[in-house]
Amino acid sequence: MTAEPILYDCDPGHDDAIALVMAHRSPAIDLVGVTTTCGNATIERTTTNCLRILEFIGAAAVPVAQGCYRPLARPLVLGTADGPSGLEGSPYLPQATMPLQPLHAVDFLAEKLAAAAEPIRIVATGPLSNLGLLVLKHPEVLPKIRELIWMGGVFYRQSEIITPTEFNAFCDPEALRLVLASGVPIKMVGLDVTMQVLVEAPQYEELGRIDTPLGRLVVDWLKFYEKLHRNSMGVGGALHDPLALALVIDPTLVRFRPAHVGVDLSGTYAFGATVADFWNERGEPPNAEIANEVDADRFFALLYDLLRD
Amino acid sequence: MSPAGPNAETDMERIVLDVDSAGDDILAVLYAAASPDIRLEGVTTVTGAAGPIEQVTNVVLNTLSLAGRDDIPVAAGAWRPIVGNAKEDMEAPVNVEKQLIARYGERLKTFNPKAPPPRRPAHERHAVDFLIDTVLAAPGEITVVATGPMTNLGLAILQEPRFAASVKRFLLLGGCFGTPGNMTPVSEYNIWADPEAARIVLNAGADTILVPLDVCEDNRAATGMMTRDDLYDLDEAATDNPVARMIIDVFPIYIDIWREFFALMGFPMDDVITVALAAVPDICTMTEPRFVDVVLDGRLARGQTVAYHGRQILPGGGPATTRVCTGIDGRRFMRMFKDAIARYERSGGEPSR
Repeated sequence: MTAEPILYDCDPGHDDAIALVMAHRSPAIDLVGVTTTCGNATIERTTTNCLRILEFIGAAAVPVAQGCYRPLARPLVLGTADGPSGLEGSPYLPQATMPLQPLHAVDFLAEKLAAAAEPIRIVATGPLSNLGLLVLKHPEVLPKIRELIWMGGVFYRQSEIITPTEFNAFCDPEALRLVLASGVPIKMVGLDVTMQVLVEAPQYEELGRIDTPLGRLVVDWLKFYEKLHRNSMGVGGALHDPLALALVIDPTLVRFRPAHVGVDLSGTYAFGATVADFWNERGEPPNAEIANEVDADRFFALLYDLLRD
Repeated sequence: MSPAGPNAETDMERIVLDVDSAGDDILAVLYAAASPDIRLEGVTTVTGAAGPIEQVTNVVLNTLSLAGRDDIPVAAGAWRPIVGNAKEDMEAPVNVEKQLIARYGERLKTFNPKAPPPRRPAHERHAVDFLIDTVLAAPGEITVVATGPMTNLGLAILQEPRFAASVKRFLLLGGCFGTPGNMTPVSEYNIWADPEAARIVLNAGADTILVPLDVCEDNRAATGMMTRDDLYDLDEAATDNPVARMIIDVFPIYIDIWREFFALMGFPMDDVITVALAAVPDICTMTEPRFVDVVLDGRLARGQTVAYHGRQILPGGGPATTRVCTGIDGRRFMRMFKDAIARYERSGGEPSR
């Protein structure tokens, strides 16, 4: 199998961490670079976490570039699910010694895209600040993005466990707006599908059988990560970011539907809401593919496979 | 050029000038390149009133060639604002030109014409990187002057957390307080064109001087506007001055347009005033440092500048670091401008006054 070169923009974050593990271990993916952004925690913390994870899993050769310390136009909002460090639950993870790239993420992405022989795919699982900055600063490389797979947004379902706005969109809606207007093909993997990949008792049982340092690390992460979900909604942790990443490996895990997507910049209760025009009332051509169905069992089978030695 | 005298290199204000190359930006570039008190480290360009970034950049390159200053780097910057406004609203300034064609016909050919290919390429770095590199190389020494939408400055702050704390001062042309706006009744073009960027800059906590329409596009500040009398003065002083010649040839139409469309007594020198303040801050009176915020929501008031004066019941505000210009010594300013342009005289004689 030829590994596909992938750039990954993330804010680890437990679920980003698991996505990083999957990206590194999948033979389908050649992780050519990772960029970090603020979101689940401050940029210093998400970057530190990223380096620790990569070094621990033997991926210290993957170049990492630090990105935005704040959203483009809004005050910084930090997530709470991942704890103060952004990666609680694995205090034994050693500090990293691998170096950080000297470039800002926006310039690193531009350099990697410009150097790529063929357009390449980017996976993004945090607020889109780095990608928004890329649109503003380096429009010349945008045609080199084959596709952006982004964990974000919510479109179809609102329920007791699904809010009308999604965190990544809420954190930097201006960046999302820039990316949606940029002409870059974008797949939005939103809460509609990611809230269906929940880690509950059967999943813990399967994961518990992977009796390796990596398997135990992932379970330790999940035990912390699920606290917020468990306490507020009564469900296990949702593997938002791993599902987005998994679509590089198996695009059939999720079904998509095209639509024109707008993002609300001035709401009161629905600030940052992503609104799809399924009836084409705006008369605008589709600017995104929106995830609406997921095969959660097959996703988990893929995850277990990648974690086993 | 006059002897160094009190204007030795070390006393010069080091500036980077960020422009969108509308008419008065050209004059601002020419002023900055000639002023004995200013060392122009570079010019960065941004999409704005003069159209796409290539046009803006080429206009600056050609202007500096005319000035004989091909040594000054010109770095191209942002091609669009962070959020911007509705497409038809963004294109409105260009459409104003079309309305004017009926009135001025052939004479409009000198108003923002398509720039011919420049003699030299732009700097290889992006404007944002040029700004960051220049400012971080000399912390506390560089005044960043912006006379267009503030997209490049906003991006520099977003990309480099040390940027705002490392500039000596921001000098910004933008906003309006008592004077009506030129985009909406309360919004001025530079702020309106990228309100999110302006808000980032005004919230950055850096020492800032804001030059609003009140001191340039208001007939109460008419002494600071360029009239045909000033063109006559430039002509009187010039023997062999290609820059003065260009201004005399090109700017009558600007004077006429601003008289007809905005009912102003002359061509407002917004951008030149802003640059001039870098070295001579006392040509304007200004407020104490205040927090100035920008309205982002809606359409009517989007881009409005709001200064926090006095005391309010509702909490709010931010860093009180912006002084807002409230008045101008227009005669003194126009003399400074004409003296600077006279320095492009090639016949070697002292410019006449």
